[in-house]
Amino acid sequence: MVTHRSWHWLVALAVFAIVCVAGVAYGTIRIPVADVIRALTGEGDTSVIAIVRDLRLPRVALAALIGAGLGMSGGALQGTLRNGLAEPYLLGVSGGAAVGAVAAFAAGIGDAGWIALSAFVGAAIAVLLALLVARAAGRGGRGDPRTLLMAGVVIGAFANAVIMVALANAPPNTVRGALWWMMGSAGDATWQTVTVLAVSILVGGAALIYLARDIDVLALGEEPAAALGVDVDRAARTIYLLSALLAAATVAAAGLVGFVGLIVPHIVRSAGLRRHRPLLLGTAVVGATLVVAADLAARTLRPPAELPLGAVTAILGVPFFLAQLRKTA
Amino acid sequence: MSGAPTVPTIGFEDVVVRYAGARVSALDGVSFDVPRGAMTAVAGPNGSGKSTLVRALLRRQPLLSGSITIDGDNIAAISQRELARRVAIAPQREEAAFPMRVDEYVALGRFPRLGLWESPSAADREAVDRALHRAGVSEFTERRTDELSGGEWQRVRIARALAQEGGALVLDEPTTFLDMPHEMALFELLDSLARDGLAVLIVSHQLNLLARFARTIVLLDRGKVAAAGTPAEVMRAPVLESIYDWPLVVTRDPAAGAPALLPLRRPTSLS
Amino acid sequence: MASISLRKESVFLGIGALDTEPPSTPRKTQDHFSFFDRTTTVRRIRGVPQFNKTILEFSVFSVARCRALQSFIGLTLLLAACSPVRERARTALTDDFGDTIVVGQTPRRVVSLNPATTEIVFAIGAGDRLVGRTHWDLYPAAASKVPDLGSGIRPNVEAVLGARPDIVLLYASIDNRPAAARLRAAGIKTLSLKIDHIADFHRAVRLVGLLLGDSAKAATVSDSVQRTLDRVRSVTAGLPTPTVFWHIWDAPLITIGAGSYMSELITIAGGRNVYGDMTAVSPTVAIEDVIRRNPRYLIAGPEGAAKIKADPHWSATSAVREGRVLVVDTALVGRPAVRLGEAALEMATLLHPETAAQLSQKVH
Repeated sequence: MVTHRSWHWLVALAVFAIVCVAGVAYGTIRIPVADVIRALTGEGDTSVIAIVRDLRLPRVALAALIGAGLGMSGGALQGTLRNGLAEPYLLGVSGGAAVGAVAAFAAGIGDAGWIALSAFVGAAIAVLLALLVARAAGRGGRGDPRTLLMAGVVIGAFANAVIMVALANAPPNTVRGALWWMMGSAGDATWQTVTVLAVSILVGGAALIYLARDIDVLALGEEPAAALGVDVDRAARTIYLLSALLAAATVAAAGLVGFVGLIVPHIVRSAGLRRHRPLLLGTAVVGATLVVAADLAARTLRPPAELPLGAVTAILGVPFFLAQLRKTA
Repeated sequence: MSGAPTVPTIGFEDVVVRYAGARVSALDGVSFDVPRGAMTAVAGPNGSGKSTLVRALLRRQPLLSGSITIDGDNIAAISQRELARRVAIAPQREEAAFPMRVDEYVALGRFPRLGLWESPSAADREAVDRALHRAGVSEFTERRTDELSGGEWQRVRIARALAQEGGALVLDEPTTFLDMPHEMALFELLDSLARDGLAVLIVSHQLNLLARFARTIVLLDRGKVAAAGTPAEVMRAPVLESIYDWPLVVTRDPAAGAPALLPLRRPTSLS
Repeated sequence: MASISLRKESVFLGIGALDTEPPSTPRKTQDHFSFFDRTTTVRRIRGVPQFNKTILEFSVFSVARCRALQSFIGLTLLLAACSPVRERARTALTDDFGDTIVVGQTPRRVVSLNPATTEIVFAIGAGDRLVGRTHWDLYPAAASKVPDLGSGIRPNVEAVLGARPDIVLLYASIDNRPAAARLRAAGIKTLSLKIDHIADFHRAVRLVGLLLGDSAKAATVSDSVQRTLDRVRSVTAGLPTPTVFWHIWDAPLITIGAGSYMSELITIAGGRNVYGDMTAVSPTVAIEDVIRRNPRYLIAGPEGAAKIKADPHWSATSAVREGRVLVVDTALVGRPAVRLGEAALEMATLLHPETAAQLSQKVH
C-alpha cells in the first residue's frame, strides 16, 4: 500500500513539472527548452528573455498558486461540509469579489493592484455577511452546514443583483473591463502579485493542513466530531474562514476561476487519498497542475487572442465532473 | 441509585436546557448519576429530552442551569478534547459522507489522544486492536464502512468508542435498525463492558431490553425525571401509562424474571 | 461563481465603432442615385456654420481648385435646378441593416444615435434639425444643446419616440436591430450605418446629405475631408514607414486591424499598422505576439499610454524601453467623422515630426 501511494505522488509531481515547463515554453511563440534555460540566465534574444522572465514565468507561478489555493480550499470545504458539491466560492466569495471589482471599475480605477484589493475586500465582507446570516438563521448560533450554504447562496444572489444594476447602465468601458475580469485570467501576473499570492496561499494552506485532522473527524458529522473531541463550532468557523481567504486571494489575483475547487478534491479522492492531511497536499499539487495546463490552453487555443481562464477550466471541468458522477452513482 | 461510595463517572445535577426560542425547557431539572461497572439507562417517549441529554453532555447544547460532571469535574471547565478522553459518546446520527475502511474509522477514536502533529504510535495501534477485538469486529478491518450491515456498523461504532479508552461509554439509540439477534448481541456486549468496569449510559426506548440488562433506569417525561431506580421500581403500570399515555400491562418475563411491558390495543370509540 | 448573463456588448467606445461581430448584411458599395459621383463638386455656397471654417478653408477657395471648377459652373446650375426634384422622387436607399428607405420629404426632426452621424449632421448645416443625440455626442459644442436620449447601443426607444423624429440615424450593430425594427414599425424612417472604413464615412456623409435634403453640402464636407487626407498622404509619401501598434484596451488587449479606418489613418500618415494583416476591425491579441512583432511605435490615448508605461509587462517591448510611446487625442481620432482630416494630420505629425511645419501650413 505504501509503495502504491508513493508512486501516485511521483507521477503527480512529474506531471506538474512537465506542465510547468510546457507553460513556459509554449505560448504565442514556441521557445525551445534550451532557449528557456538560457533566457533564465539572461542570455539570448532580449524579447525572449523578457517573455520568459517577465511574462511566462510569473504567469505559470501565478497559475500554479491559484490552482493550489483553490484545490486546498475546495478539499477543506468538502470535508468540513460533508458535501462533495462544496467549492471555494460558495460562501459568497465570488459574488463579493465581483462586487468589489465592479465597484473599482465603475469608479474608473484601472490599476490592477487596486482592483485586486477591492475584490479581496468585497470577498471578505461577503463571507462575514454569510457567516452572520447563517448564525442569525440557525438556532442559537449553531447552524448546520446547510444553513451556511444557503446563506452563501443568498449573499451570492444579492451580489449578482448589485452587479447587474451597476453594469446595466454603465459605460461600455466599465462593462467590458468588469466582464473580462470576471471571466478570469492569469495574464496580470507580475512578480509582485505572485509574491503576495504566494504568501497568502502558503499561510492559509499551512493552517488548513494543520487543521486537516479536525476535518477528518468533522467529516463524520458534528455530533460525532464533538464526541471525538473537536470544538466543532470553532474548528468549522476557522476552516470556513481559511478556505474563504484562499479563495478570495486567488480571485483577487486572477478573477473568477471556477470548477477547479470542485473537481480537484474528487480527483485526489478517487486516487485513494482519504485523510485530509495528504488529501490537501494532493489537491494543491493536482490543482496547480490543472490551472497551469488550463492557462496554457487559454493562451494557445485561439492565437493570438487569449481565452478567459475561467472558461477553459469550466470546459475541462464539466466532462470530468460528469465522469465522476457516473462513478459515484 | 446504587449505593456504591465511589465518585460517579458521569453526574447530572439539576440540568435545565432550553432551546432558543422555545417556551418550555427540553430538560427541566434532571439529576441522576452514571456509576462505573453498571449499565444505566435513560428511557422515555419521543420528545422527552433523551437526545437533548446527550447533546448537553456533548456540549453541543448549553445548559440554562445545573451542571454535568465527569469524574467530579464540571464538563464546562474542561476542553472538548479532555471530555473525549474521558467519555466515549456515540450519538444517534452519524453521516458517512466519505466511506473509509473499518480500521481507519476505528483509529479515529484515538483522535483525542493524539497531539496535533503526531502520528499514531504503537500504543495507539494496540488500543485500536484491542477495541476491534472487544467489539468483535476484528475480522472485517479491511471492509469499507458503507459495505457493512446495520449490526456490524453499530459494533464498529462501539469499537471506535472503545478505542477512545475513556472510563465511560454513552450510546444514543444504538439499536435502531437492528433485528432481534443483533439487538441482543449488542446488549450482551454492553453488559460485558459494564462488568469490566466501564460506566455505560444507554439512551433507548426499548424498555424491555433495558429491564433485562440495566441496573438503573431513568424515565424522562417532558424534560423531567418521572421515575428513577431499578427496573422493578420504575416499571410500574401507573407510571408508564401516564408517561406514554397508552394502555399497557407490566408482567414478568418468564426467562429472567425481569419486568416486561406489554402495550394493549386501544379501545375504539365504537365498542 | 457569478452567473452573469450579459451579452457581449458591442463596444461603442466613443472612439469609434469597435464591433465584435461583423455586420450580417453585406454592405452595398454602390449607391442608387444617378446624378452624383465623386468627381463632381457642386459649389452651392450657403451660410456656413462657425465651426466649419476648416472645411471652408480647404474647399472651394483653394486657389488651385478654383480654375478647375470654373468649367463646371454651367453644369452645376443645371444640376442644381433639376436634381432636388429627381433625387427625392426616385431614390430608394438600402442601409447596413438591409432596410430600405425612400427619400421623400425633407425630414425636419432628426435623431442621431451615433456620434459620427451627429457630427455629420452638424457639418452639413442641419444641426438645427437635430432633436436627439446620444449621451456621448459632444462634438461640436452645439451638440450639447440637443436633447440627450441616452445610449446609442440598444437605445431607449420610448425616449426616441418621445422626440417625435422623422428619421433616426442608428449605428448598425446587431444590438440595434430590435430598436430599428421597433422604430420602423412605428412608422419612423431609420438609417442604420456602420462606419468602419474611410470609404464608409464618405458614403455616410452622402447618404445623410441625401436624406436630409442637402447633398451639395454633404459633398463639400466629404470632399474637403478627402482633400486633407490626400494632402497628408502626399506629404508623407516617400518617407520611411515605421511600424505602429495602436493600443485600444488592455484587458483584454485590443488593437485595430485592417478593418478599421484607424488602420487606414496610420497608412495615410505614413506608417504601417503592425496588425494590418488581420482583417477584423478590433482584434484581441496577446502581448507576447506584440513583443514578437516589435512595433517601432506604440500609440495610445493618454490613459492607455500611462498604463503602458507603468506596466512591467510592456517594458519588454523596445518601444517602451526606448521611449517611443505616442499619445493621441482619442476624442479626435476616435470616430470616423468630419475631423478625419485633422486626425490624419495629428497622426502624421506624431509619426513624422519633421513634416510638422509642412503639414501645418494650411491649418487654422
